[in-house]
Amino acid sequence: MAKDSYLKKILGAENFSRIQSSKVLMVGAGGIGCELLKDLVLTGYGEIHIVDLDTITLSNLNRQFLFRQNDINKSKSLTVSKAVQHFNYLNAHLVSHHGNIMDTNKFPITWWEQFEYVFNALDNLEARRYVNKMCLFLKKPLMESGTTGFKGQIQPIYPYYSECFDCSTKETAKTYPVCTIRSSPTQPVHCITWAKEFLFHSLFDEVESDQNLTDPNQIRSETDNEAEIAFFQKESTELAELRHLITTADPPTFINELLVKIFKADIERLLLIDSIETRRGSRKPTPLDVVRYSSQLAGLLADVSNENILNLDTKMWSVLENIYVLYKSSEVLQERIVSGRESSISFDKDDEDTLNFVAAASNLRSSIFGIEIKSKFDIKEIAGNIIPAIATTNAIISGFACLAGTKYFTTPSHGTDYSAITHKSSTIFVGITPNKYITSGTLGPPNEKCPSDALVSRGVFKISPTDFTTLTLGWLIGQLENYGYSRDDISIQKSNSKLLYDIDYDDNVDLTLASMSGLKDGELILISDDSDQLESLELYINIAEKTSLPELVLRPKVTHDEPEQENEDGLLENGMDVENDGVILLDSEAENEENDDLLIIDDEPSPKRRKIA
Amino acid sequence: MTKDELSAQEIALYDRQIRLWGMATQLRLRSSKILIINLGAVGTEIVKNLVLGGLNTIEILDDSVVKPEDFAGQFFLPNDDSVVGQTKLPLVVDRIRELNNRVNLSINTESLDSLIANKQYVKAFDLVIATELDKQMILKLNDITRELNIPLYVSGMHGMFGYILTDLIEHTSVSVKEAGNQPRVVGTELSRNKTITNVESKEKSNDEIVTIRDVFSPLKEIFKSQELPKQLNKRQLKRLSGVVPLIFALFDITRPNDPDTVIDVEVLRVKAIEICNLLNIPAETVTPDYLDVFSRQAFAEFAPVAAVIGGALAQDIIQFLSKKESPINNVLILDAVNSEMPIYSL
Repeated sequence: MAKDSYLKKILGAENFSRIQSSKVLMVGAGGIGCELLKDLVLTGYGEIHIVDLDTITLSNLNRQFLFRQNDINKSKSLTVSKAVQHFNYLNAHLVSHHGNIMDTNKFPITWWEQFEYVFNALDNLEARRYVNKMCLFLKKPLMESGTTGFKGQIQPIYPYYSECFDCSTKETAKTYPVCTIRSSPTQPVHCITWAKEFLFHSLFDEVESDQNLTDPNQIRSETDNEAEIAFFQKESTELAELRHLITTADPPTFINELLVKIFKADIERLLLIDSIETRRGSRKPTPLDVVRYSSQLAGLLADVSNENILNLDTKMWSVLENIYVLYKSSEVLQERIVSGRESSISFDKDDEDTLNFVAAASNLRSSIFGIEIKSKFDIKEIAGNIIPAIATTNAIISGFACLAGTKYFTTPSHGTDYSAITHKSSTIFVGITPNKYITSGTLGPPNEKCPSDALVSRGVFKISPTDFTTLTLGWLIGQLENYGYSRDDISIQKSNSKLLYDIDYDDNVDLTLASMSGLKDGELILISDDSDQLESLELYINIAEKTSLPELVLRPKVTHDEPEQENEDGLLENGMDVENDGVILLDSEAENEENDDLLIIDDEPSPKRRKIA
Repeated sequence: MTKDELSAQEIALYDRQIRLWGMATQLRLRSSKILIINLGAVGTEIVKNLVLGGLNTIEILDDSVVKPEDFAGQFFLPNDDSVVGQTKLPLVVDRIRELNNRVNLSINTESLDSLIANKQYVKAFDLVIATELDKQMILKLNDITRELNIPLYVSGMHGMFGYILTDLIEHTSVSVKEAGNQPRVVGTELSRNKTITNVESKEKSNDEIVTIRDVFSPLKEIFKSQELPKQLNKRQLKRLSGVVPLIFALFDITRPNDPDTVIDVEVLRVKAIEICNLLNIPAETVTPDYLDVFSRQAFAEFAPVAAVIGGALAQDIIQFLSKKESPINNVLILDAVNSEMPIYSL
């Protein structure tokens, strides 16, 4: 069959048949996923599993070329595998899974074991970290990729031979001081953050959910101005009363109270405590003259055709129009709650009512503080953390991801000894300069301070159902001594940090593993050596046919004076939903475009550069 | 829908790209008419990207019939072996149109040779992309595009390698860039023929408004340019691979009819060394390793490489039309074996 003659010429007939008999996993079927799947299918991969939990939306169609208008709201993973049948010339076997890759019931570790290679095509850090960790557990090679606008990058990961996803810190959404947001804004983004995370949240979202902007400790850490602290306190208390009006007052009353309190009374009170230190570079605010606008507002409200204003996404609304939009959106949001359909409403950039409210409220606040007004289109981008995404960058990055993954299959395999392929592989960063389109770099070794692969070993602890209900924690501790641990020095924790055992806490020793609360299939336990002799060990509990502990040689523990975990925590506490086709992972030096040779590590013409596969 | 405004539906559909390049660029795309010559694997990728991007008009010109090896990377072809031997374009046009029915898509199955005898045909387009052409045809086409003042992109691939040549005549871009530690200076040559012609600092921000002017050489100059060694430092020159002379050599070699045919190594070697002499680069770059690879991979299509080249080319067209970013000037080489993608100004 001549269909594959080019592939055989380029890859070599033997390598090509290795690719054809391989089974790979692609996580994510969005911007990168659509492009990557096309490349994998046309490269001849034999069996490809696709996992995605998402459904198709209109704004996907500018780049996710496997989707059509009439696919909107359908499952991405199921739709892609149907769509590629149009060009599945080499008969790849496609298996779609609509679900969350982090779901251990649907995707237990035994399910992961079947794959020879994992391609990430994800849009969020949490899932990326999870897949990275699974690949570390199973020592599976992983291709990490991401794009943002015109830029993008790929990073091949060969567990314990090259840097893993967690070896370098990642850029995260910026946070602002509470005082900047609540009393001294100077930029549109401050007002948008205030409208979304303070005003909207306090009025419509679940009350008990975590609220940094009202945290008294946070406020005290930023200001010692008692008047300002009292102001914040009073503002919050009154906001709770306003929230009460949603279900007890009619719309005109609720909305009028809202306008007067938020944009007039609170601002007047702020002016009373006015001082240089509360101003922090912001302009002196001018309270909104709500009464002055009331008759004009009534006029707008009287004519239904004015609802068209809500659709003028790219227009800069006037103050009156912002008041009108705030009125209309508050009315609908109130109705949604009063009708009992929803008990609370969370901000969602694709929920027009919530977006209208946030856009209008932030613009009104901006006008009060002499900050420029933004269009709803622009506010949506900031409030929704939208990262621009285009077809071309995704196509380029997916092409490179496929090529770099394919390199693994055209290199002789040595099991999980990845030294040869690590040496042959590179990261690629796409960032256009006058002299080059990409910057490639050799794969660095794992970061010695990385909490994911340098400070801990991992393995799967298989245990039969019978053993799970009969063997005790004491038995497990005995087994752990085979790794060189001493029962007097170790502590055992569950993944949620709950302590199971240490020398001063031996209450569970005689309990069976199954009877310990929360120990179950898919659970992680962490063993640490408190005497600092050996590195930590993380075990993945897998209920299996036969009981076995992983064969591992633990490395001596490396201690660092400054623990590096802080970045990690900072990332995780910021639960913002960043919707994009990726994140730029490479550190900033890759963006230095002046020096052509900066990132090329091998100084001399090395065999790697001259050798052709 | 007016000429200088996007409809709400367009804004919703193109949301994620408008956020990158703005409404003005999207409007420019919507008013641009493009001709793309030959729909191989690279052409397929370019068309996909430009149709998704939302151009006004795209005409595809290709008189070929489907060959078995076309299934390597031309993913608009139906999954049906029986179409081999049929004219290609009518088989793919509906699948392309489905991507975005806002684009006026047309196909033309006449031969390029007969069509470009009539300059009026080319004149109807704002920009021409030509893929998989030999040197003689490239130069003939370039004479016409030069005469008509139409920008021309030329592209193609050989297995793990690919190229983009550009003669966009001249181009001025104005973009807002973050001011670096060193202020940008008017007159700076970013590369040969790519010059900063104006810098203004933007009020109330750390940004500069930078104007860059590009002047392009006719493509016939590229094929005998002596500029390459001047643009490399000693180490880069020492490390220069055989990719450039071999890609250039293949412009003079006819594509074999049988995809299993290997190009004669000796013919390729003689040609490549001739190119080295012409371009003033060391003949030692043409190593037996590279000769062997190119003799096997010449003209071969490979989807991921086509995706990189087709992505970069479509991206550059958007940059060109946007007038906001400076385009590729004027030779881009992709070496997917070594993960390199240099741009030379020849």
